[in-house]
Amino acid sequence: MTKSENGRRRERQDAHWIEWLTGIVSALLVAALLGWLGWEALMRPTTPPDLSIHVVSTQPSSGGYRVAFDISNAGTTTAAAVTVIGRLIKDGQVIEESPVVFDYVAAQSKTQGAIFFRNDPAASEMVMRPAGYTSP
Amino acid sequence: MTDDAASAESDQSEFSRFITGLARGVAGALFFALPMLMTMEMWYLGFYMARERLLLLVILNIPLLVLLAHRIGFEKTVSWRDAVRDAIVAYGIGIPTSAIVLAALGLLRGDMSASELIGKIALQSVPASIGAMLGRSQLGDEDDDTERKSTPYHSELFLMGTGALFLSLNIAPTDEMIVLSYKMTIWHALVISLISIALMHGLVYAVSFMGGHELSPETPWWHAFVRFTLPGYVVALTVSMLTLWIFERLGDSSAIEIMVSVIVLGFPAALGAAGARLIL
Repeated sequence: MTKSENGRRRERQDAHWIEWLTGIVSALLVAALLGWLGWEALMRPTTPPDLSIHVVSTQPSSGGYRVAFDISNAGTTTAAAVTVIGRLIKDGQVIEESPVVFDYVAAQSKTQGAIFFRNDPAASEMVMRPAGYTSP
Repeated sequence: MTDDAASAESDQSEFSRFITGLARGVAGALFFALPMLMTMEMWYLGFYMARERLLLLVILNIPLLVLLAHRIGFEKTVSWRDAVRDAIVAYGIGIPTSAIVLAALGLLRGDMSASELIGKIALQSVPASIGAMLGRSQLGDEDDDTERKSTPYHSELFLMGTGALFLSLNIAPTDEMIVLSYKMTIWHALVISLISIALMHGLVYAVSFMGGHELSPETPWWHAFVRFTLPGYVVALTVSMLTLWIFERLGDSSAIEIMVSVIVLGFPAALGAAGARLIL
Protein backbone atom coordinates (compact mmCIF):
# COMPACT_ATOMS: atom_id res chain seq x y z
CA MET A 1 0.00 0.00 0.00
CA THR A 2 1.28 3.45 -0.90
CA LYS A 3 -0.01 6.64 0.69
CA SER A 4 -0.08 9.99 -1.10
CA GLU A 5 0.33 13.15 0.85
CA ASN A 6 1.19 16.58 -0.58
CA GLY A 7 2.31 15.01 -3.83
CA ARG A 8 4.79 12.76 -2.02
CA ARG A 9 3.99 9.12 -1.59
CA ARG A 10 5.23 7.07 1.26
CA GLU A 11 5.43 3.30 1.29
CA ARG A 12 3.86 1.80 4.35
CA GLN A 13 6.03 -0.06 6.78
CA ASP A 14 3.45 -2.69 7.73
CA ALA A 15 3.06 -4.37 4.37
CA HIS A 16 0.45 -7.03 3.72
CA TRP A 17 1.91 -10.54 3.41
CA ILE A 18 0.83 -10.73 -0.25
CA GLU A 19 3.24 -7.88 -1.06
CA TRP A 20 6.10 -9.85 0.48
CA LEU A 21 5.03 -13.03 -1.30
CA THR A 22 4.91 -11.24 -4.67
CA GLY A 23 8.24 -9.63 -3.88
CA ILE A 24 9.93 -12.89 -2.98
CA VAL A 25 8.52 -14.74 -6.03
CA SER A 26 9.71 -11.86 -8.24
CA ALA A 27 13.13 -11.87 -6.61
CA LEU A 28 13.43 -15.61 -7.33
CA LEU A 29 12.34 -15.10 -10.96
CA VAL A 30 14.83 -12.26 -11.51
CA ALA A 31 17.60 -14.25 -9.80
CA ALA A 32 16.81 -17.28 -11.99
CA LEU A 33 16.85 -15.09 -15.11
CA LEU A 34 20.19 -13.50 -14.24
CA GLY A 35 21.61 -16.87 -13.23
CA TRP A 36 20.55 -18.46 -16.50
CA LEU A 37 21.98 -15.59 -18.55
CA GLY A 38 25.23 -15.70 -16.58
CA TRP A 39 25.53 -19.46 -17.03
CA GLU A 40 24.84 -19.19 -20.78
CA ALA A 41 27.29 -16.32 -21.10
CA LEU A 42 30.02 -18.37 -19.43
CA MET A 43 29.29 -21.78 -20.90
CA ARG A 44 28.14 -21.04 -24.45
CA PRO A 45 31.09 -20.90 -26.85
CA THR A 46 31.03 -18.26 -29.59
CA THR A 47 30.76 -20.09 -32.89
CA PRO A 48 30.38 -18.50 -36.34
CA PRO A 49 27.06 -18.86 -38.22
CA ASP A 50 26.60 -22.41 -39.43
CA LEU A 51 23.82 -22.40 -42.04
CA SER A 52 21.99 -25.42 -43.36
CA ILE A 53 19.02 -25.70 -45.70
CA HIS A 54 16.22 -28.21 -45.61
CA VAL A 55 13.74 -28.31 -48.50
CA VAL A 56 10.19 -28.58 -47.19
CA SER A 57 8.01 -28.75 -50.30
CA THR A 58 7.90 -28.23 -54.07
CA GLN A 59 4.60 -26.99 -55.41
CA PRO A 60 3.46 -25.66 -58.80
CA SER A 61 2.65 -21.95 -58.72
CA SER A 62 1.49 -19.52 -61.40
CA GLY A 63 4.21 -19.49 -64.05
CA GLY A 64 6.50 -22.07 -62.45
CA TYR A 65 7.33 -23.95 -59.28
CA ARG A 66 7.77 -22.82 -55.70
CA VAL A 67 10.35 -24.60 -53.57
CA ALA A 68 9.80 -23.82 -49.87
CA PHE A 69 12.68 -24.43 -47.46
CA ASP A 70 13.83 -23.90 -43.89
CA ILE A 71 17.19 -22.36 -43.22
CA SER A 72 18.68 -22.94 -39.79
CA ASN A 73 21.69 -21.46 -38.08
CA ALA A 74 23.41 -23.82 -35.64
CA GLY A 75 26.07 -21.26 -34.68
CA THR A 76 25.81 -18.88 -31.73
CA THR A 77 26.28 -15.80 -33.92
CA THR A 78 23.53 -14.24 -36.04
CA ALA A 79 24.09 -13.98 -39.79
CA ALA A 80 22.76 -10.99 -41.75
CA ALA A 81 22.08 -10.59 -45.47
CA VAL A 82 22.21 -14.35 -46.00
CA THR A 83 22.09 -15.13 -49.73
CA VAL A 84 20.70 -18.51 -50.72
CA ILE A 85 21.21 -19.69 -54.31
CA GLY A 86 19.04 -22.40 -55.81
CA ARG A 87 20.24 -24.13 -59.01
CA LEU A 88 18.68 -26.68 -61.31
CA ILE A 89 21.31 -28.88 -62.99
CA LYS A 90 20.64 -31.17 -65.94
CA ASP A 91 23.35 -33.21 -67.67
CA GLY A 92 26.05 -31.26 -65.86
CA GLN A 93 24.66 -27.92 -67.11
CA VAL A 94 23.07 -25.26 -64.90
CA ILE A 95 19.71 -24.69 -66.57
CA GLU A 96 18.29 -22.25 -64.06
CA GLU A 97 19.51 -20.23 -61.09
CA SER A 98 17.43 -18.18 -58.61
CA PRO A 99 18.72 -16.30 -55.55
CA VAL A 100 16.93 -15.13 -52.40
CA VAL A 101 18.28 -12.93 -49.58
CA PHE A 102 17.34 -13.25 -45.91
CA ASP A 103 17.76 -10.10 -43.82
CA TYR A 104 18.68 -12.17 -40.79
CA VAL A 105 19.06 -15.76 -39.69
CA ALA A 106 19.26 -15.53 -35.90
CA ALA A 107 21.70 -17.56 -33.83
CA GLN A 108 20.47 -21.07 -33.04
CA SER A 109 17.23 -20.34 -34.87
CA LYS A 110 15.52 -21.18 -38.11
CA THR A 111 13.46 -19.23 -40.57
CA GLN A 112 11.48 -19.98 -43.75
CA GLY A 113 11.82 -18.91 -47.36
CA ALA A 114 11.01 -20.01 -50.89
CA ILE A 115 12.59 -19.89 -54.35
CA PHE A 116 10.72 -19.84 -57.66
CA PHE A 117 11.85 -21.86 -60.70
CA ARG A 118 10.36 -21.84 -64.18
CA ASN A 119 11.45 -25.44 -64.87
CA ASP A 120 10.19 -28.40 -62.90
CA PRO A 121 12.74 -29.12 -60.13
CA ALA A 122 11.67 -32.78 -60.13
CA ALA A 123 12.97 -33.21 -63.69
CA SER A 124 16.49 -32.14 -62.81
CA GLU A 125 18.96 -32.06 -59.95
CA MET A 126 18.28 -29.24 -57.50
CA VAL A 127 21.10 -27.69 -55.45
CA MET A 128 20.39 -25.10 -52.75
CA ARG A 129 23.18 -23.57 -50.77
CA PRO A 130 23.89 -20.48 -48.70
CA ALA A 131 26.33 -18.29 -50.63
CA GLY A 132 27.42 -15.94 -47.86
CA TYR A 133 26.44 -13.61 -45.03
CA THR A 134 27.49 -10.40 -43.29
CA SER A 135 27.71 -9.53 -39.57
CA PRO A 136 24.52 -7.88 -38.32
CA MET B 1 -38.83 29.46 -14.24
CA THR B 2 -35.63 29.98 -12.29
CA ASP B 3 -35.31 26.24 -11.82
CA ASP B 4 -35.63 25.68 -15.56
CA ALA B 5 -33.00 28.31 -16.28
CA ALA B 6 -30.63 26.81 -13.74
CA SER B 7 -31.03 23.31 -15.13
CA ALA B 8 -30.60 24.57 -18.70
CA GLU B 9 -27.43 26.33 -17.63
CA SER B 10 -26.10 23.22 -15.92
CA ASP B 11 -26.98 21.16 -19.03
CA GLN B 12 -25.06 23.69 -21.05
CA SER B 13 -21.99 23.47 -18.81
CA GLU B 14 -22.29 19.68 -18.67
CA PHE B 15 -22.32 19.62 -22.48
CA SER B 16 -19.35 21.97 -22.86
CA ARG B 17 -17.46 20.01 -20.24
CA PHE B 18 -18.06 16.85 -22.26
CA ILE B 19 -16.82 18.54 -25.44
CA THR B 20 -13.72 19.78 -23.61
CA GLY B 21 -13.17 16.21 -22.43
CA LEU B 22 -13.44 14.90 -25.99
CA ALA B 23 -10.99 17.54 -27.23
CA ARG B 24 -8.53 16.57 -24.49
CA GLY B 25 -8.99 12.95 -25.51
CA VAL B 26 -8.14 13.74 -29.14
CA ALA B 27 -5.12 15.78 -28.01
CA GLY B 28 -3.97 12.90 -25.82
CA ALA B 29 -4.50 10.36 -28.60
CA LEU B 30 -2.42 12.46 -31.02
CA PHE B 31 0.23 13.24 -28.44
CA PHE B 32 0.76 9.62 -27.45
CA ALA B 33 0.07 7.81 -30.73
CA LEU B 34 1.76 10.04 -33.28
CA PRO B 35 5.18 8.36 -32.88
CA MET B 36 3.49 5.04 -33.71
CA LEU B 37 1.34 6.48 -36.50
CA MET B 38 4.57 7.63 -38.13
CA THR B 39 6.46 4.35 -37.71
CA MET B 40 6.87 2.34 -40.89
CA GLU B 41 6.81 -1.06 -39.18
CA MET B 42 3.43 -0.26 -37.62
CA TRP B 43 1.92 0.24 -41.11
CA TYR B 44 3.33 -3.08 -42.30
CA LEU B 45 2.21 -4.88 -39.15
CA GLY B 46 -1.29 -3.61 -39.87
CA PHE B 47 -1.51 -5.92 -42.86
CA TYR B 48 0.84 -8.79 -42.18
CA MET B 49 0.42 -9.53 -38.47
CA ALA B 50 -1.64 -12.62 -37.62
CA ARG B 51 -5.28 -11.62 -37.28
CA GLU B 52 -5.80 -13.65 -34.10
CA ARG B 53 -2.97 -11.74 -32.39
CA LEU B 54 -4.38 -8.41 -33.55
CA LEU B 55 -7.79 -9.48 -32.23
CA LEU B 56 -6.21 -10.46 -28.90
CA LEU B 57 -4.50 -7.06 -28.64
CA VAL B 58 -7.68 -5.16 -29.52
CA ILE B 59 -9.72 -7.19 -26.99
CA LEU B 60 -7.10 -6.96 -24.21
CA ASN B 61 -7.19 -3.20 -24.66
CA ILE B 62 -10.79 -3.04 -23.37
CA PRO B 63 -10.21 -4.26 -19.78
CA LEU B 64 -6.99 -2.22 -19.76
CA LEU B 65 -8.92 0.96 -20.60
CA VAL B 66 -11.64 0.16 -18.07
CA LEU B 67 -9.11 -0.42 -15.27
CA LEU B 68 -7.22 2.70 -16.31
CA ALA B 69 -10.46 4.72 -16.30
CA HIS B 70 -11.33 3.37 -12.89
CA ARG B 71 -7.92 4.40 -11.58
CA ILE B 72 -7.40 7.78 -13.20
CA GLY B 73 -10.78 8.51 -14.81
CA PHE B 74 -11.21 12.09 -15.86
CA GLU B 75 -14.44 12.75 -14.02
CA LYS B 76 -13.07 11.18 -10.85
CA THR B 77 -14.76 7.96 -11.83
CA VAL B 78 -15.99 6.06 -8.86
CA SER B 79 -18.34 3.46 -10.24
CA TRP B 80 -17.44 0.72 -12.70
CA ARG B 81 -20.30 1.87 -14.94
CA ASP B 82 -18.61 5.25 -15.38
CA ALA B 83 -15.28 3.54 -15.97
CA VAL B 84 -16.77 1.39 -18.74
CA ARG B 85 -18.37 4.49 -20.29
CA ASP B 86 -15.06 6.38 -20.15
CA ALA B 87 -13.24 3.41 -21.68
CA ILE B 88 -15.72 3.20 -24.56
CA VAL B 89 -15.41 6.94 -25.21
CA ALA B 90 -11.61 6.69 -25.19
CA TYR B 91 -11.70 3.80 -27.67
CA GLY B 92 -14.25 5.77 -29.68
CA ILE B 93 -11.82 8.71 -29.82
CA GLY B 94 -8.86 6.48 -30.66
CA ILE B 95 -10.36 4.80 -33.75
CA PRO B 96 -11.39 7.90 -35.78
CA THR B 97 -8.26 9.79 -34.70
CA SER B 98 -6.00 7.02 -36.06
CA ALA B 99 -8.13 6.68 -39.19
CA ILE B 100 -7.98 10.43 -39.92
CA VAL B 101 -4.23 10.75 -39.28
CA LEU B 102 -3.43 7.61 -41.33
CA ALA B 103 -5.61 8.89 -44.18
CA ALA B 104 -4.05 12.36 -43.98
CA LEU B 105 -0.57 10.82 -44.21
CA GLY B 106 -1.60 9.01 -47.39
CA LEU B 107 -1.40 5.56 -45.81
CA LEU B 108 -5.02 4.59 -46.47
CA ARG B 109 -5.94 4.40 -50.12
CA GLY B 110 -8.99 3.16 -51.96
CA ASP B 111 -7.11 0.42 -53.78
CA MET B 112 -6.05 -1.31 -50.56
CA SER B 113 -7.90 -4.40 -49.38
CA ALA B 114 -10.43 -3.99 -46.58
CA SER B 115 -8.32 -6.26 -44.37
CA GLU B 116 -5.31 -3.96 -44.78
CA LEU B 117 -7.32 -0.79 -44.09
CA ILE B 118 -9.03 -2.21 -41.02
CA GLY B 119 -5.85 -3.87 -39.74
CA LYS B 120 -3.91 -0.60 -39.89
CA ILE B 121 -6.62 1.38 -38.10
CA ALA B 122 -7.28 -1.33 -35.50
CA LEU B 123 -3.59 -1.62 -34.60
CA GLN B 124 -3.13 2.15 -34.23
CA SER B 125 -6.36 2.57 -32.29
CA VAL B 126 -4.84 0.70 -29.32
CA PRO B 127 -2.11 3.25 -28.44
CA ALA B 128 -4.42 6.08 -29.55
CA SER B 129 -7.14 5.00 -27.13
CA ILE B 130 -4.67 4.69 -24.24
CA GLY B 131 -3.44 8.17 -25.20
CA ALA B 132 -7.01 9.46 -25.25
CA MET B 133 -7.61 8.04 -21.78
CA LEU B 134 -4.40 9.52 -20.38
CA GLY B 135 -5.02 12.80 -22.19
CA ARG B 136 -8.43 13.20 -20.64
CA SER B 137 -6.99 12.79 -17.19
CA GLN B 138 -3.46 14.17 -17.44
CA LEU B 139 -4.17 17.19 -19.64
CA GLY B 140 -7.18 18.01 -17.51
CA ASP B 141 -7.51 19.86 -14.23
CA GLU B 142 -4.81 19.20 -11.71
CA ASP B 143 -5.82 16.57 -9.25
CA ASP B 144 -6.32 17.77 -5.78
CA ASP B 145 -3.12 16.18 -4.65
CA THR B 146 -3.21 17.55 -1.15
CA GLU B 147 -5.95 15.07 -0.32
CA ARG B 148 -4.76 11.86 1.19
CA LYS B 149 -5.21 8.95 -1.13
CA SER B 150 -3.79 5.49 -1.04
CA THR B 151 -2.94 3.21 -3.92
CA PRO B 152 -3.58 -0.47 -3.29
CA TYR B 153 -0.71 -2.81 -4.12
CA HIS B 154 -2.43 -4.48 -7.09
CA SER B 155 -3.23 -1.17 -8.73
CA GLU B 156 0.37 -0.04 -8.21
CA LEU B 157 1.43 -3.15 -10.19
CA PHE B 158 -1.27 -2.45 -12.78
CA LEU B 159 -0.01 1.12 -13.28
CA MET B 160 3.51 -0.22 -13.79
CA GLY B 161 2.14 -2.65 -16.38
CA THR B 162 0.35 0.20 -18.22
CA GLY B 163 3.50 2.33 -18.31
CA ALA B 164 5.53 -0.65 -19.51
CA LEU B 165 2.93 -1.45 -22.20
CA PHE B 166 2.94 2.12 -23.41
CA LEU B 167 6.67 2.33 -24.05
CA SER B 168 6.73 -1.27 -25.34
CA LEU B 169 4.07 -0.48 -27.95
CA ASN B 170 6.25 2.40 -29.11
CA ILE B 171 9.40 0.37 -29.45
CA ALA B 172 8.47 -3.31 -29.97
CA PRO B 173 7.39 -2.97 -33.64
CA THR B 174 10.65 -1.37 -34.80
CA ASP B 175 13.33 -3.36 -36.60
CA GLU B 176 15.92 -1.84 -34.30
CA MET B 177 14.70 -4.20 -31.55
CA ILE B 178 15.62 -7.22 -33.65
CA VAL B 179 18.94 -5.79 -34.83
CA LEU B 180 19.95 -4.89 -31.28
CA SER B 181 19.29 -8.35 -29.95
CA TYR B 182 21.38 -9.81 -32.79
CA LYS B 183 24.27 -7.44 -32.15
CA MET B 184 24.33 -7.93 -28.39
CA THR B 185 26.08 -10.71 -26.57
CA ILE B 186 24.61 -12.29 -23.44
CA TRP B 187 26.98 -10.17 -21.34
CA HIS B 188 25.42 -7.04 -22.81
CA ALA B 189 21.96 -8.39 -21.94
CA LEU B 190 23.05 -9.03 -18.35
CA VAL B 191 24.32 -5.46 -17.99
CA ILE B 192 21.14 -3.99 -19.55
CA SER B 193 19.01 -6.02 -17.18
CA LEU B 194 20.95 -4.80 -14.11
CA ILE B 195 20.80 -1.19 -15.36
CA SER B 196 17.02 -1.53 -15.85
CA ILE B 197 16.50 -2.71 -12.28
CA ALA B 198 18.77 0.01 -10.84
CA LEU B 199 17.06 2.75 -12.87
CA MET B 200 13.59 1.53 -11.87
CA HIS B 201 14.48 1.75 -8.22
CA GLY B 202 16.47 4.96 -8.57
CA LEU B 203 13.83 6.83 -10.55
CA VAL B 204 11.11 6.17 -8.04
CA TYR B 205 12.95 6.36 -4.73
CA ALA B 206 16.33 8.05 -4.96
CA VAL B 207 15.73 10.89 -7.38
CA SER B 208 13.31 13.34 -5.82
CA PHE B 209 10.93 14.01 -8.64
CA MET B 210 7.50 15.39 -7.91
CA GLY B 211 5.40 12.30 -7.30
CA GLY B 212 8.44 10.31 -6.22
CA HIS B 213 8.03 7.82 -3.46
CA GLU B 214 9.90 7.95 -0.22
CA LEU B 215 10.50 5.54 2.57
CA SER B 216 10.09 6.14 6.25
CA PRO B 217 13.55 6.60 7.76
CA GLU B 218 13.23 3.40 9.75
CA THR B 219 12.42 1.23 6.67
CA PRO B 220 15.47 -0.44 5.13
CA TRP B 221 15.86 0.31 1.40
CA TRP B 222 15.55 -3.30 0.35
CA HIS B 223 11.97 -3.49 1.66
CA ALA B 224 10.72 -1.33 -1.21
CA PHE B 225 13.20 -2.99 -3.56
CA VAL B 226 11.72 -6.43 -2.93
CA ARG B 227 8.08 -5.32 -2.64
CA PHE B 228 7.91 -2.88 -5.55
CA THR B 229 10.96 -2.73 -7.81
CA LEU B 230 11.49 -6.46 -8.43
CA PRO B 231 7.78 -7.24 -9.03
CA GLY B 232 7.73 -4.17 -11.28
CA TYR B 233 10.64 -5.54 -13.31
CA VAL B 234 8.91 -8.91 -13.66
CA VAL B 235 5.76 -7.08 -14.84
CA ALA B 236 7.85 -5.06 -17.33
CA LEU B 237 9.51 -8.21 -18.73
CA THR B 238 6.14 -9.97 -19.02
CA VAL B 239 4.64 -7.03 -20.91
CA SER B 240 7.72 -6.87 -23.09
CA MET B 241 7.46 -10.58 -23.95
CA LEU B 242 3.73 -10.25 -24.68
CA THR B 243 4.19 -7.29 -27.05
CA LEU B 244 7.09 -8.98 -28.85
CA TRP B 245 4.95 -12.09 -29.31
CA ILE B 246 1.92 -10.09 -30.54
CA PHE B 247 4.09 -8.22 -33.04
CA GLU B 248 5.63 -11.52 -34.22
CA ARG B 249 9.14 -10.50 -33.27
CA LEU B 250 10.08 -13.80 -31.65
CA GLY B 251 9.77 -16.20 -34.58
CA ASP B 252 11.53 -19.53 -34.36
CA SER B 253 14.39 -18.18 -32.25
CA SER B 254 16.02 -20.19 -29.50
CA ALA B 255 15.07 -19.48 -25.88
CA ILE B 256 18.22 -17.50 -25.13
CA GLU B 257 17.74 -15.28 -28.22
CA ILE B 258 14.14 -14.63 -27.16
CA MET B 259 15.31 -13.75 -23.65
CA VAL B 260 17.85 -11.25 -25.01
CA SER B 261 15.10 -9.52 -27.06
CA VAL B 262 12.80 -9.48 -24.03
CA ILE B 263 15.52 -7.89 -21.88
CA VAL B 264 16.31 -5.28 -24.55
CA LEU B 265 12.66 -4.24 -24.76
CA GLY B 266 12.44 -4.65 -20.98
CA PHE B 267 14.77 -1.67 -20.62
CA PRO B 268 12.31 0.94 -21.96
CA ALA B 269 9.43 -1.06 -20.44
CA ALA B 270 11.04 -0.81 -16.99
CA LEU B 271 11.48 2.94 -17.41
CA GLY B 272 7.84 3.18 -18.51
CA ALA B 273 6.77 1.22 -15.44
CA ALA B 274 8.76 3.51 -13.13
CA GLY B 275 7.48 6.60 -14.96
CA ALA B 276 3.87 5.47 -14.56
CA ARG B 277 4.33 5.25 -10.79
CA LEU B 278 5.57 8.83 -10.75
CA ILE B 279 3.03 10.34 -13.14
CA LEU B 280 -0.26 8.49 -12.75
